[in-house]
Amino acid sequence: MNNINRADLNVTKLIERSLEKRNQKERYFRIYGISSLVIAVVFLLTFFASIISTGYQAFIKTDIELEVFLDSEVIYPNGTKTEEDLFFADYDSLIFTSLKEHLPELKNRKERRQARLILSSGASYKIQNKIIKDKSLVGQTVSFILPLDDEVDMYLKGYVDTESSENSRKITDFQIALVENLIEKDLIHRNFNTTLFVSGDSREPELAGILGALVGSFMMLTITFIISFPLAVSAAIYLEEFAKKNIWTDFLEVNINNLAAVPSIIYGLLGLAIFINFFGFPRSAPIVGGLVLSLMTFPVVIIASRAALKSVPPSIRDAALGLGASKIQTTLHHVVPLALPGMLTGSIVGMARALGESAPLIMIGMVAFVVDIPTSITEPSAALPVQVFLWSDAPERGFAEKTSAAIMALLVFLLLMNSLAIWLRNKFQIKW
Amino acid sequence: MEEELDSNFKTVGNIRTEKSVIMNVEDCNVYYGDVHALKNVNMEIGKSEVLALIGPSGCGKSTFIRCLNRLNDTIDIARVTGKISLDGKDIYSDYINTSGNMDVVLLRARVGMVFQKPNPFPKSIFENVAYGPKIHGLCKDKNDLNNLVESCLVKVGLWDEVKDRLEDSGTSLSGGQQQRLCIARAIAVQPEVILMDEPCSALDPIATERIEDLISELKQNYALVVVTHSMQQASRISQRAAYFHMGNLVEVDSSNKIFNDPSHPLTTNYISGRIG
Ligand SMILES: Nc1ncnc2c1ncn2[C@@H]1O[C@H](COP(=O)(O)OP(=O)(O)OP(=O)(O)O)[C@@H](O)[C@H]1O
Ligand SMILES: [Mg+2]
Repeated sequence: MNNINRADLNVTKLIERSLEKRNQKERYFRIYGISSLVIAVVFLLTFFASIISTGYQAFIKTDIELEVFLDSEVIYPNGTKTEEDLFFADYDSLIFTSLKEHLPELKNRKERRQARLILSSGASYKIQNKIIKDKSLVGQTVSFILPLDDEVDMYLKGYVDTESSENSRKITDFQIALVENLIEKDLIHRNFNTTLFVSGDSREPELAGILGALVGSFMMLTITFIISFPLAVSAAIYLEEFAKKNIWTDFLEVNINNLAAVPSIIYGLLGLAIFINFFGFPRSAPIVGGLVLSLMTFPVVIIASRAALKSVPPSIRDAALGLGASKIQTTLHHVVPLALPGMLTGSIVGMARALGESAPLIMIGMVAFVVDIPTSITEPSAALPVQVFLWSDAPERGFAEKTSAAIMALLVFLLLMNSLAIWLRNKFQIKW
Repeated sequence: MEEELDSNFKTVGNIRTEKSVIMNVEDCNVYYGDVHALKNVNMEIGKSEVLALIGPSGCGKSTFIRCLNRLNDTIDIARVTGKISLDGKDIYSDYINTSGNMDVVLLRARVGMVFQKPNPFPKSIFENVAYGPKIHGLCKDKNDLNNLVESCLVKVGLWDEVKDRLEDSGTSLSGGQQQRLCIARAIAVQPEVILMDEPCSALDPIATERIEDLISELKQNYALVVVTHSMQQASRISQRAAYFHMGNLVEVDSSNKIFNDPSHPLTTNYISGRIG
């Protein structure tokens, strides 16, 4: 009896001693975990801070409010009043006439030219569009909110160093004085930049928007999902549930894993060779982009779907088969519903990766400068990541903040997709 | 006692049943890759009787009953040879070319199975029981199906416990309830043979007793093959018993004989508790 008690005591002591070590290890591990988390969060915050700080001003733009007399003699110089006249009319001079009323101090031609350059070249299109929509405006005086040139915008956002020599900047001292003058007259306002969300690309930063790229990316992702999800899921189901495990399926598995790791640019080359050169699909169209991204996403979704199928307990298959369900009934009634959340999450993660890819899209010509918003999948289109690439490469300072704005749009897009993934997972999750 | 038996060892006792034969196993061998898991098994399974399979862990009991409904087909490396017939029709006829074949789906509908670990579908209790009849088209309408589900749940003594929560998930039940649900699910297809692989191993004595009662009741209409590790249970519920040892069917006879006066020394040792 005595012996047993002493032995018990010893064991307790031994455990106590090892307990200390174990607790120590646990503390260390927690510290490692927390510090790596902190590092990750710091990186993330720095990343967001830098993007938001350069990009937030992109959501504001500066406009000038002008009363423009739509002189019918200027608009219809030949007196013919045709539609064609409206396309070739000299709206610039109308704007300038109005501007001159506010700036009587303009003396020579040079000064007048500089004054004209305060406004964006897009200002006259704005008037033109309005008149084409409503011809009765001709002959009246209408108040317009017109975009300013990006250099003025930059100046007003505080990016221009007025102390530096005039030659080193694009806005002259004279223009700055004019702008200050107009501000005093309360003609220049800062507004929310709707242009950013409703227009496509442009050579002029103040006229450029991300809608074209957003629509293009959305079309491509839709195509990617429609093509790669059903194909990859059926392939995964076949490989996991039906195919006999042999040398061929092993070979296939190795190849699929390899494909998932192939650099994306190679898919771009493949797409160029097959879809564009061989099948003659149009260049830089969302259909081609979507097909290329499908190829790229395909192996990723197969791998995710197979993992999801593998995680379905075999006892469920046995239960169904044991009742006399056929192989396909077992798979469709029991296995796939249980694997579906994993499949969906996997494919959305794959698509999120596809959304951010620019290299393969560049290979199929999606770097083209496309102003129009695509209305069908065969029209030339931009894509968000490529838009980021293009704008970050542009010399105008106005594009720097646009780049960040495009990145933010990309991040929001990703965030939405990942939230969708979580929502779908919870919706289809079967409670045990 | 761990040494293997001679390769031309012959089962002792009586491999024939006194009842009318429903399944007949001839020269059945199972290989898992290179592992010879079941060796030359010959045995009859009779209608309206409970056949208990006993033997130490790893001796091939599960392997044997999984041959009877071809569930070994799902294991890629498993290979089954020999002839097993249900009502005189070869169930492995895709393997061996003989006249009179049977589709594996039909086979499994006629030979139901209950597993060692309760494995209800993660669907509603109702759906669990209704699934089999639905896929086989056994009920002509919704009403018919409702009645069938109810009668099956009544048979396994689960009806009173679940009648108000038929829409709850089958997995929300307790272990014993889940096992009874699985039995209800199996009998809903109205099989002729029910295979049970250690149906009580996860259950408490009360649930075990209920299942034993259920087995005795089911015996009236079905042929049952029950794997069990409990000698007492085997002697309580079975009319015949078969003792397996390292892949060999050592002895099969009436339960009375096996548990009171076994012929083979291996069986004697096992029964008296010296192995297993
Ligand atoms: N899927 C498998 N792959 C390979 N070997 C297997 C497989 N299943 C069973 N075996 C082997 O076959 C032999 C018999 O196994 P089986 O499961 O039939 O035993 P058992 O009698 O049911 O044992 P227990 O009482 O523990 O359930 C064992 O040696 C086992 O290792
Ligand atoms: Mg077993």
